[in-house]
Amino acid sequence: MSRPSPPPLAALLGRLRRASRALRTGLAFAIFGALGLLLGLVLFPLERGLTREGEIAERRCQRRVSAIFRLFTWVLRGLGLAEIRIRGAERLRRPGTLAVANHPTLLDVVLIGAEMPQVDCVVKKEAWSNPFMRHVVTATGYVPNDLGETVIGACAERLRRGRSLLLFPEGTRSPEGGLGPFMRGAAHLALVSGRPLTPIVVRCTPPTLMRGQKWYDVPDRRMCFEIEVCEPIDVGDVVDPGEPRALAARRITAALRDFYHERLHNRNA
Amino acid sequence: MTGKASPESIFTWVCEILKREFQISDAEISPTAHLIDDLDLDSIDAIDLSVRLEEKTGLSFKEEDLKAIRTIQDVVDFIAERLD
Repeated sequence: MSRPSPPPLAALLGRLRRASRALRTGLAFAIFGALGLLLGLVLFPLERGLTREGEIAERRCQRRVSAIFRLFTWVLRGLGLAEIRIRGAERLRRPGTLAVANHPTLLDVVLIGAEMPQVDCVVKKEAWSNPFMRHVVTATGYVPNDLGETVIGACAERLRRGRSLLLFPEGTRSPEGGLGPFMRGAAHLALVSGRPLTPIVVRCTPPTLMRGQKWYDVPDRRMCFEIEVCEPIDVGDVVDPGEPRALAARRITAALRDFYHERLHNRNA
Repeated sequence: MTGKASPESIFTWVCEILKREFQISDAEISPTAHLIDDLDLDSIDAIDLSVRLEEKTGLSFKEEDLKAIRTIQDVVDFIAERLD
């Protein structure tokens, strides 16, 4: 039996690169935290000082959030952590856009939000009692994830006022390389508001920051995000008049999930 | 709906509504089927279902009532008790 040979140089270098990537990832998280504090402690109080509560104040705070997200995308690029390619982003800047997206990583909302100076989101209602999140979700007027009917009503009202909205139909991050079950809220909202659904397809290779993954569990190469904003889908074309809404919502949701499945699958094949 | 209805007949038309309006298949239906976990109804469906049942029975479903209802049998029991 021979002694195990020392690790080759290539393996050592690989380990070093990974360690450096983990360090830079940690730095990126720290910067994100600092930007969050900047929002909560400086920018929002400033906005509140300048504008009274209400529509205008909410829109201004959302613009600040988007600017912070954009800044963070530069940090990700600058640290060599991510490459980000977006197609069709102009579709997201039309007022009253009802956008939906799959949710492979923790960063999706940041990367999409960076492209939308005004966007409402549905956020877990626990955020309204979380000391770190509370001021963000109240200042921006985001929608608490309450009972279905209430959420649909609040979202429809925002669309009516020309505000845009981003929903993740899976309700949580996607399972690795796939899609979770879709909830039907986006379909109901499209039915109620008459707004078309604008699907955003997010792909990230190698898979990173997935559900259940630790932040320091970094891949061995730069993440590459491809975000495609697709042609809006008018649900009016799909629905039969007089069809019960529960059935219509099921059909729209199934069609939407098929659409994502197709897009994600064909690219991987 | 007037007069007495047997639990069997209530079960039958509750299932009719589920099949017709919520795309539930015969294979999924059983008295113990859980409306949310097994039949994939969501909170909006629950409201639509209660509206259908109210139209059919003339009963009114309050929010607390809906919270106590989990399975198809719970729906049938709820209606049977109140129609008696």
